[in-house]
Amino acid sequence: MSFRQKLLLLFAITILLCVTVMSVSVYGTMRRSFEQANQDRANSVAAQFRSEFQRRGEDVARKVESIAASETVQRIALEINRGVSPASADASGYLGEARTLAAQQQLDFLELVDHQGNILSSAQWQAKFGYPEPAITPATGPADSRAFLKREELPNGPTLGLFAIRAASIGEQPLFVVGGERLDQGFLSTLDIPAGTRVLLYQNLDSNWNPQSLLDLNGAAAGADRIAPLIEKVRSTGQETQGVIHWTADSADAEVFHALPLTGPNEPLMGILLVGSSRRPLIELQRRIISAAMLVGGLGLLVAVLASLWFAARVTRPVVSLAEAARRVAAGDLSAKVDVESSDELGELAASFNRMTEDLLQQKDRAVQAERVAAWRELARRLAHELKNPLFPLQVTVENLMRAKEKSPELFEEVFHESTATLLAEINNLKTIVARFSEFSRMPQPRRRPTQVNEVLRSLLRVFHAQLQDKSGITVQTDLDAALPAIQADPDLLHRALSNLVLNAIDAMPQGGTLTLHTTALANGEVKDRVAISVSDTGAGLTPEECERLFTPYYTTKQHGTGLGLAIVQSVVSDHGGKISVESTKEKGTTFRIELPA
Amino acid sequence: MRVAIQSSPMTLDANTSSTPADYWDMVRLLSLVGDNLVGIDAEGRPQPALANAWQEDSTARHWQFTLRHGVNFHDGTPASASAIALILGPLHPDWNVRATSAAADSLTIDTEASAPTLLAELALPRNLILAHNAAGLPIGTSPFRIADYQPGKLLKLAAVEDSWSGRPFLDAIEIEFGKSLRDQAVALELGRADVIATAPRSANASPRMRTSSSMSLPVELMALVFAPNSKAQDVRLRQALALSIDRKPIQSVLLKGAAEPTASILPNWMTGYSAAFSAQANVQRAKALLADSRPPALTLSYDPRDPQAQLIAERIALNAREAGITVQVSLSGPDDIRLVRIPLPTPDPALALREAARQLSLSPPVLHGKSVEDLFQAEHGLLEDSSVIPLFHLPVASAASPRVHGWAPDRLGGWNLADVWLENSR
Repeated sequence: MSFRQKLLLLFAITILLCVTVMSVSVYGTMRRSFEQANQDRANSVAAQFRSEFQRRGEDVARKVESIAASETVQRIALEINRGVSPASADASGYLGEARTLAAQQQLDFLELVDHQGNILSSAQWQAKFGYPEPAITPATGPADSRAFLKREELPNGPTLGLFAIRAASIGEQPLFVVGGERLDQGFLSTLDIPAGTRVLLYQNLDSNWNPQSLLDLNGAAAGADRIAPLIEKVRSTGQETQGVIHWTADSADAEVFHALPLTGPNEPLMGILLVGSSRRPLIELQRRIISAAMLVGGLGLLVAVLASLWFAARVTRPVVSLAEAARRVAAGDLSAKVDVESSDELGELAASFNRMTEDLLQQKDRAVQAERVAAWRELARRLAHELKNPLFPLQVTVENLMRAKEKSPELFEEVFHESTATLLAEINNLKTIVARFSEFSRMPQPRRRPTQVNEVLRSLLRVFHAQLQDKSGITVQTDLDAALPAIQADPDLLHRALSNLVLNAIDAMPQGGTLTLHTTALANGEVKDRVAISVSDTGAGLTPEECERLFTPYYTTKQHGTGLGLAIVQSVVSDHGGKISVESTKEKGTTFRIELPA
Repeated sequence: MRVAIQSSPMTLDANTSSTPADYWDMVRLLSLVGDNLVGIDAEGRPQPALANAWQEDSTARHWQFTLRHGVNFHDGTPASASAIALILGPLHPDWNVRATSAAADSLTIDTEASAPTLLAELALPRNLILAHNAAGLPIGTSPFRIADYQPGKLLKLAAVEDSWSGRPFLDAIEIEFGKSLRDQAVALELGRADVIATAPRSANASPRMRTSSSMSLPVELMALVFAPNSKAQDVRLRQALALSIDRKPIQSVLLKGAAEPTASILPNWMTGYSAAFSAQANVQRAKALLADSRPPALTLSYDPRDPQAQLIAERIALNAREAGITVQVSLSGPDDIRLVRIPLPTPDPALALREAARQLSLSPPVLHGKSVEDLFQAEHGLLEDSSVIPLFHLPVASAASPRVHGWAPDRLGGWNLADVWLENSR
């Protein structure tokens, strides 16, 4: 990944992180606000419910008090105290009284109860006369003078009511009036419920969860079973709680319910008020925020990409130029320059780079000149050395001739013949030297054709056969790969190069040894595309320094070498697209290894 | 005289009555128009009516009646043996009713089986000797004849000058139909009615005005009847329900003390052994009967035209709940139990038991003799499986305004208006 791409990615991630953090932060704040608003609404409805509960309770108490003070109740109380109507005998006279009184005061429930707590007359269940009213005990009378919640048994099942009790006390036996109103959907309909909120009432009338006891404004609430766990929690703990009810897979249809326990006089759980707030506004706002965040994030990302492209381009252009220049320098082009005009660190770096390349260029020129001078000097030294050897015999021979002419004319003829023979021999020697230099300078381009390397080596061994015979003590070993593929090569040049290596090996083993020729096919995968040729000797070996300079022209380790042999070998190998290497261990021998493409 | 009744009969036929109130209204109406061949008093003794003498053979299959002389129907035709045979014969296809050939005032009835209760049966209201005119209206032999009839609204009767029992004091009787008991009471209070039917109440109940109230012997049975496909197939459940019902509060409060709590079909005044059937509630025993079972919820229905039935049904449901039996009072859907009220149309216990069994859809009682023990055994057999739970025996009550004199309803609930007269009347 380029520096520019990294920079781009960094910018994008930074912007995304910013947008995400901002969105999460906004959503979290909004969610807390909504939850607070929901809580406030639930508290408001609960407070309203309690207020309405209290108001209705006072209303019920007032009505019950009015009934207790009515002429009818006073008459019945009087009759009871006079003993006119003993217990159940003439309760028939009161059978319908409670219903009439309840209708007059618009109460749903009304019972006239004697001092023993037995019902004399019941409006809600006329047949219940004679049965005890649990709210009144003979010992204590009514439990509470305020309105309270009470479970009321009716013919078609229990219900929940808001009750008040008053006594008509004439004489020693009070007559209790127990009146009340239903606490059901009618009660709920009197509440002023905020928009987006609804109120449910669970009448806790059964020991087990009963979906029919969950009421909304229209009666039995739909989907009661989904709210059951929340209600069960309040039933088990008796504490206010809240929960989210998911009605559908769409989370916007969910509602947050606050469940408030409603207790009776002795703290039994009589009912549960459930204030539900729709999560739709929250979810829709959440979706809008997410959409906005995605839009902002997307646009930001786009802007970020464009900006970072521009910025990264601006920032990285000198770096890219530097990298390009560095690559050119690495490739050997020391003329590479970085064109940076900025005055920052990158500009300074570019200027330093330019200075460095200029220095390198100058050093290279100097090195080339020095090397050239050194080469000429080496060449001159070699020439001088090579020419000096035959020149000295020439000079001595000529001086002998001249001396013989002057001092021993009688021997001149004999000396002349001997001297001319020597002169010719030395002149031939000089010609040979010149021919070698000439040969090196005239290395021909290879003329390639399919060539069997093994055949070249065998031919080579045949040429050197006589020489190897003369040099006793050198054993030749061949390990030629029979499956060696033919390569495109100039067999004459190859023969010449390998001859130099074999000659060097023979020269390296004056005391005898083993000359080993080895070939093998090299494969790239399954295709044999190269051949390797090794020429090893068991001579004195070379030092690492010698190995390093071995292929330098005119460098030789021999007393009379020209230093051109291995230079010619390397030239031939290089012209064939191959490579040559040397491995040598002092006192153990040297191996030259050539790899050539097939 | 103005009379108000609760029912609104579209036809004047004793066999079309659907409720006890309708039954008694119709019996009272038709008894003003027609006579039976034989009457029967509260003690179950046969009384002469259109027949003033009778004779039976030793097998009680052959009966011969001597008819009263000079009795005519309201249209003037004589109430001869042949005319009476033409009326009775179609009512009893299994009887052979015929005029005795030897004398015009003699009527013979032959039955296939022994008929020891034939006289009581002839005294039943459905056996009133009523012919019908071209309009289908009944023509009888009693002191009043039908002067006008508006089905469902009104019936006007006029005095028959030459009635065999003598001319009544009243010239006419106007009977208004479809008045509820409350409306009747109001009409009586306001002087718009002279005689009404009332809800029975105990003697302790204080009347609000100087009306003449009368109450019959208990001639109705209120009972719970289990439907054949009731969920209460377990006899222990039925027995538990019977034991759970506390009849006393119902009797004293809902029935205003006028009823007799009972566990027998026939009232005690008729048999003398009613107390042998215990009507005491015993919730503990009821619970014990259900100890090892979970009783199904039962549905109890009642006659919505009966003003007291709903409260009684609800009270029974309350009592049952005490014993752990769920009884839902409902008028909709199939019922497991019905709260019914049936008339006991005769003081003859054997015939009354048979009539009750018929109305309660029970098998006919098996009577092996005429003794009280035989009757007890027969009734005990009917109640053995508790498919019927007798609750109360109820009287029927009437009231007359202060201007009605000579008002003496009989003990079986009938009105004897032929002997009353009105103050300020002609």
